[in-house]
Amino acid sequence: MALSGFFRSTPLVFTTASLLRVAFLLYGLWQDANSPMKYTDIDYFVFTDAARFIAQGQSPYARDTYRYTPLLAWMLYPTTWSGTFWFNSGKLLFAVGDVVAGWMMYRILREYREMGKERALRYASIWLLNPMVATISTRGSSEGLLGVFVTALLWAVLKRKYVLTGMLLGFAVHFKIYPFIYAASIVWWLDSTKTEHDAKGRTQGSVFDQLIAFINPQRVTIAAASIITFVLLNVAIYNMYGWPFLEHSYFYHLTRIDHRHNFSPYNTLLYLNSSPGGTQSTFELERLAFLPQLLLSALMIPLALAKKDLPSTMLAQTFAFVAFNKVCTSQYFLWYMMFLPYYLPDSVLFQSPTIGFTALAAWVVGQAAWLQQGFQLEFNGYSTFVPGLWLSSIVFFIVNVGILGVIIYDTRMRGDRTVPVKKQQ
Amino acid sequence: MKQRITYVVTEPEIFSPDQISVEKGKNGERDIFQVKRLEAAKEHRITLGLDELSKHKIPFDPEVLKKWHELHIRWSPDNPNFTIAPAPFTSRVSPGLHIFFTPSTEVEDPDLCQDVRSVFRNHHPQFKCTTSNETAIKMPMLSERFTMSTALQYYTPLFEKDWKSSGMGDWIGDITGSTQPPSYVDVDYDAMSQAVVCTIVWSNGHGLEKSWTDQYFAPEEDSDSTVEIGVLSHEANTDPEDYQFGGFLTVPGRDDKPKPTRFQTPTRHYPLLDSAPFNPNTAPQLSPLRYMTSVNRPTGLHPTLTLTLPTNDLIAPDPTCKLHAYLTLPSALFIDKYQFKDPLFLASKNLVALRSISGATDLEAPDWVIPQWGSAALFELAAPSSSSSSASSSSSDTEKSSTAVHADHNISIPLHLRYLPASSSTHTPISVPWPVVFWACRADEGAKHAQNPFDRRHLGYEALFGPKTRFMHVQPSEDAARLVERIEVPVLDTRKVGMVEAGTMGIVVVAFLGLCWVLFGKINGRKVDGEKKKQ
Repeated sequence: MALSGFFRSTPLVFTTASLLRVAFLLYGLWQDANSPMKYTDIDYFVFTDAARFIAQGQSPYARDTYRYTPLLAWMLYPTTWSGTFWFNSGKLLFAVGDVVAGWMMYRILREYREMGKERALRYASIWLLNPMVATISTRGSSEGLLGVFVTALLWAVLKRKYVLTGMLLGFAVHFKIYPFIYAASIVWWLDSTKTEHDAKGRTQGSVFDQLIAFINPQRVTIAAASIITFVLLNVAIYNMYGWPFLEHSYFYHLTRIDHRHNFSPYNTLLYLNSSPGGTQSTFELERLAFLPQLLLSALMIPLALAKKDLPSTMLAQTFAFVAFNKVCTSQYFLWYMMFLPYYLPDSVLFQSPTIGFTALAAWVVGQAAWLQQGFQLEFNGYSTFVPGLWLSSIVFFIVNVGILGVIIYDTRMRGDRTVPVKKQQ
Repeated sequence: MKQRITYVVTEPEIFSPDQISVEKGKNGERDIFQVKRLEAAKEHRITLGLDELSKHKIPFDPEVLKKWHELHIRWSPDNPNFTIAPAPFTSRVSPGLHIFFTPSTEVEDPDLCQDVRSVFRNHHPQFKCTTSNETAIKMPMLSERFTMSTALQYYTPLFEKDWKSSGMGDWIGDITGSTQPPSYVDVDYDAMSQAVVCTIVWSNGHGLEKSWTDQYFAPEEDSDSTVEIGVLSHEANTDPEDYQFGGFLTVPGRDDKPKPTRFQTPTRHYPLLDSAPFNPNTAPQLSPLRYMTSVNRPTGLHPTLTLTLPTNDLIAPDPTCKLHAYLTLPSALFIDKYQFKDPLFLASKNLVALRSISGATDLEAPDWVIPQWGSAALFELAAPSSSSSSASSSSSDTEKSSTAVHADHNISIPLHLRYLPASSSTHTPISVPWPVVFWACRADEGAKHAQNPFDRRHLGYEALFGPKTRFMHVQPSEDAARLVERIEVPVLDTRKVGMVEAGTMGIVVVAFLGLCWVLFGKINGRKVDGEKKKQ
């Protein structure tokens, strides 16, 4: 009763979400001031050091391990001003970004999932009241900021603001590369039926006609806007910071070895192949790893699903991208978490408790098994690379692929439903 | 060849001038200087002009020296029983082989690695040296104007056994006529002097008595060789910045008997003395302070190096003195300099600051992509707070309680391991030499340090301080088995990786195909409408 009352009030939910973050921020300040173990994420020190270099007129890449766009360091410029408040203002920015992303999720659920207020607030709370999300942003990780950009991107598409969509896409790719996978789903989703109602007959035409039909004004606008934004940003920043910008923000991600243990199924193989004395014979295999990942996330999933349900397609794309990635750490889970509010409400994971709980339990157990092996290596010095870490990363991968299979199947089925929402209310 | 041999007697009370003598040569034979059963530390310094090198069978082609503007080799053993020598031989480097050098500007791409390999005859994989250009690390420049240091620094773990079997170890044994393991060996060359100076120091003599019984002949009359022999003891003196030695100097061939001598000099490296009030009438008493180094177990991938010093003896010799540790780390280990900014973190480790770090500091790279030999770091350490030490000296009662509570002062230095290459075992051992620990104090007469006949430079750390600095050295504990810690680094065991490649690729392919089927296959026995439209 009290809980349903809670979810009936938009101000109450957003105030709670904000207070949650304020409480985490204050707790973080207290822990940082009183304990040698810091609440603040190590990355936050990287960002703020880079901002300090910028403030001194130097390149942010003067800071080791700064692998982001200089825009991030610029956004955190106020952290260079003296005082604890200003130093922590970046976390405030990330937390505000979180809440804004949550608000956009709520609007998308209301407008495009046609949910009632209470239901929309409940599902937006998967993000808004999620302690993991609040912790990540208040510790000063920039992944929270990405939530705003990607959610804004989705909102702009659904609102049919094509120039804005293109600009956000170009910006998001500049910021974190991986959102380029959304280009395919957005473009495929935007066939003429989404905007006009006269295009039904055209699909029967020749290949040339189909091609003409494909190149519609919306698609052209988005492509142009995104490419122009991306190129302008990169040219401008390249002019300011030169080669280190390209090297650290882009090429590093292509050439990194990723030998340190992480959740990726490829991890042990990459260690083996990059190490002298390992097996160099099939060195190219790790480059081939891009193939299934990109085929799935940037091509096949968009083709199969985008016209049925764009947000769920983006969830499946992100899930595939993370599961098949050569490197995977827990912050990557946030990337797909931001799409859960759109998919979960009508999903089989929620409708069938057996499937839902099995999936959740398998995911948690897979994580836990890996973490246990990782702990034995990292802190006890046992050589758990094989079979422990390798097997647990493979099992975790299988679990992820299983869940991805459920999401894909579910989204395909949902496409068949003529009335996808409002069944339960 | 010039030779200067110095004995510093360790037990001045039992030294008698009878133990040294000059025997005049008869019938044109040369004079002989003798020492008998002398309990002493010994320094043997040999200076060879470039033209004399091949005559004395130095184990390398003298031509290779022309590549260098300056070259300073420092070697120290890992056995604590040999390494701790009295004043004026108190300065130390971490166990292993250190080379400080500046390439000549006249030679293109001079390389050290090949020479080092041939001189030290070592082909062990841990001898990491590809080309000195990429393997050596740049010495941090304190100031361009006053720089006293060389441009580059190289280090490799090279311990007792490998030293003995090396060409250099052999040659040193031959030329000094001593099989006793040295406390340290310095070889210095610079293009200005066109000479190679080898300095070998032993902490004590041969055999059970640990004493020296040696003979030295006067050089041939027509040669330009000289021999000078000093037998000295460390004496008390009034100026705390100086040390004083008294004893006998002899130049065989010139002197008929040992000549008494006494000299006092400001010194860069000073032994750490007992904290008892100064007494000019007694010989200086060395401080009992010793440090232990250990690695916290289990080491995991983030080993912590712990320095342990007894709190009671850890008293700054002078208010200007600051306690420091200088670490020489092989590339398998690295320091994350960004960790050492937070005052709370530093305080919890009993550290004051990371003062300097140079070399391989990449925070992510595995060992096999690091070309450098490793890194060198200088930490300022926190000494026990003065309140507890003043409390402990105020009364014997509180002293007891304070020793019970804070018997040891621990300093922790957090390190991180790089990934090491996969190997046919579960772990790969690495050696971490103990750091050197010293008080760095202000020295008003720093400019005069170089005039001290026993001055020693190019140790890595002294160039990180201004010229007006003296170093009060803390000695490592003799109780330790070795002055090197071993860390077992977990690695990917290649004996177990048979399934990894096929397994990973197989699972990924199966997962991919499965997802393709879910994406495009039939649902409930029929194709979904949307699929037909597409193709």
